[in-house]
Amino acid sequence: MPDSYLVHVAGAMRSYYKDFSKYAKGRAPSQKVAWVTSFAPVEILDALDIEYVYPESYAAVIAASGLEQPLLEESSRQFLSCDCCSYSCCFEGCISTGKGPRGVPPVPDVLIATNNQCNTLPAWWSILAKRYNVPLIVLDYPGEFTDADIARPYVEKQHKEFVKKMEELSGNKLDENELAKRIGNSINSVAAWKRVCACLKEREVPPTLLFDDINFLITARCKEETAIIYNLMADEMETYPECNKSLTPLFWIGYPLWYHKDRYLTEVMEGFRVCGSNYITWWNLDYEGDSVWDKLFGAYNNTFLNLSQKTKTERLSALIAASGAKCAVTCRNKSCKCDYVSAKNVGIPQAELEVDMIDREYLDVERAASLMKILKETVS
Amino acid sequence: MKILSMSGFVPEQIIDTVRFTGYEGSERLSHYCGYAADFISQVKEDASIDGAVFPKSCDSSRSIGSYLDETGKFIYSMPVPAIRDEGSVAYFADILRDYKAKLEKHFNISISDDEIKARDMVISERNAKIAASYGKLSDLSYSSYIREVHASLNAPYSFDESRIEAGKDGKPVYLVGSFLAGIELSDCIEKAGMKVTGDDLPESGRIAVQSESADSSEDIYLKIASDILSRRPSPTQDLFEELIKNDVAEIEEKGCRGVIFATQKYCEPYDYLFSVYKKVLDEKGIPVLQVQLSDSTDAGAHAFALEAFADII
Ligand code: SF4
Ligand code: SF4
Repeated sequence: MPDSYLVHVAGAMRSYYKDFSKYAKGRAPSQKVAWVTSFAPVEILDALDIEYVYPESYAAVIAASGLEQPLLEESSRQFLSCDCCSYSCCFEGCISTGKGPRGVPPVPDVLIATNNQCNTLPAWWSILAKRYNVPLIVLDYPGEFTDADIARPYVEKQHKEFVKKMEELSGNKLDENELAKRIGNSINSVAAWKRVCACLKEREVPPTLLFDDINFLITARCKEETAIIYNLMADEMETYPECNKSLTPLFWIGYPLWYHKDRYLTEVMEGFRVCGSNYITWWNLDYEGDSVWDKLFGAYNNTFLNLSQKTKTERLSALIAASGAKCAVTCRNKSCKCDYVSAKNVGIPQAELEVDMIDREYLDVERAASLMKILKETVS
Repeated sequence: MKILSMSGFVPEQIIDTVRFTGYEGSERLSHYCGYAADFISQVKEDASIDGAVFPKSCDSSRSIGSYLDETGKFIYSMPVPAIRDEGSVAYFADILRDYKAKLEKHFNISISDDEIKARDMVISERNAKIAASYGKLSDLSYSSYIREVHASLNAPYSFDESRIEAGKDGKPVYLVGSFLAGIELSDCIEKAGMKVTGDDLPESGRIAVQSESADSSEDIYLKIASDILSRRPSPTQDLFEELIKNDVAEIEEKGCRGVIFATQKYCEPYDYLFSVYKKVLDEKGIPVLQVQLSDSTDAGAHAFALEAFADII
């Protein structure tokens, strides 16, 4: 019987959560711990043997476990406005109460925030820095808003200074070959994940699986194991039956709804099948360039939410065209101002739903159902 | 040529800009701060506006370009460095050069360094005058002072203390927030019997209480970049510890009896800041009132809350 990816998944999960309070049971982590945002250059941390934890992802896990409401309420009691990104509110509730499905993450030795997806994250990390009284490092990525010849040396300098600080923290010296190896792993992870994503268009693949399993590309992209998991997954999915072509192909624009058992609104999507999503492509980072520094610049400066509207629209339109979608659900995410405008002029009929990816009480399901009905009438 | 600018991070020295103060616009963009939404409206709707320049420093401002890219006007999103060191000054200077080059290209004009230097002198003089008046806030009417500040943000950048009215007695308070678009709020504060003796606003306290610019070089771009980045930190720069320390020192030194925290709704830098600011003030026993403004022209409906606050302090 071929090796199932599930065995590797279990191993990767064990490794990621080993120092969360539910499993550590008071044991201190053996490595220094960084809390990072989801587009941080973790290849550097991994090469220096620093453990890294993703608060955003953990907020998603909390909502998927159905525990978000009391934690959102707690964050309000901590004077954090409910207008702020729900990832931060949910996570703030978790660390304030010590409650979470896997306990709380190991206490950070350093906080690393990037602004290549939004400016919320550095602000959120600033309140974490105040709480834990540990250094906050903000990595500033100008993105497509700035000419690359100005941005590249600026980012490279920051990456090199970041290495120095992390060497001091970890007591380890960076071996550039090790860094190159981690970047190579990330490149392999992206390539394997693209194989997985390709199955969504043609095969009977539940989108839920992709919304959940992109987690490894986010939290473990530079680990060798990740490409193994995704290649095994793709091998398996490529044998799945063909998808039901009589259903209307629909593109899901925006975040998965983490609180939902399926991560998308199955209850109002009868007659549709999800044939593509932009969220599942966001971590398909492009490590272009010759040197490790060029590769890191390419990957982390040009993340999707750090692109100009023109490029975002072009990329999204190309993805939609490749998926064969006839229509789209566009999630207007209350939490995310930066993603709010991603879907401009995409050229197919859309149902625009007001959602929040964490707070289940935000959605008006009846209204969503009626918008989906209109969408169905439009495309039929 | 009329270029609408937003934020103290946008240099006034490169070209004359019109500082955005408020506009009753038709753009109602969910979850963006009303200030940014009104800025978008004015650029789109006001035919006299030829261009817009705004920072990439918060989620609302970084999204502005997405709404304006099809206007055909000059649109410049200025990536303000999120860090403050020598490297970021040099980088910001490069951005300023790029801004100038893009202006020249778009409008087919030429901007000389001498012109920029001359404007820099005027701006520096104005800032020194703002700082001098800021030092005398206990004697001045704050609402009259802040109006004079706002008027001086546009060419010819003249600031004249003699135009500022004398202040009446009132309970001393400290004002924190983003650009005070709804300037009537300052009238309401005074009417409620309070007197603003210090602030952490981008157009006032942050200009007035500025550390010595680190750069004395002949390079005008480095000088401007250094001047802007030497100001007291804005919450968009994520230096909450330093910001709160500075504010608390000033609040205590001036014997302020309370803090009014006035922000736009959906303004995440100030929302995050508030969550820690409030805890620090609570520990020190300093009352704080949060006033949330719905857009760039909102200032009205807070009189009752301000009066109640004046009573408790
Ligand atoms: S959901 Fe949006 S605002 Fe929240 S952390 Fe992600 S990118 Fe930032
Ligand atoms: S008011 Fe706040 S959210 Fe709006 S532009 Fe200013 S800093 Fe950004």
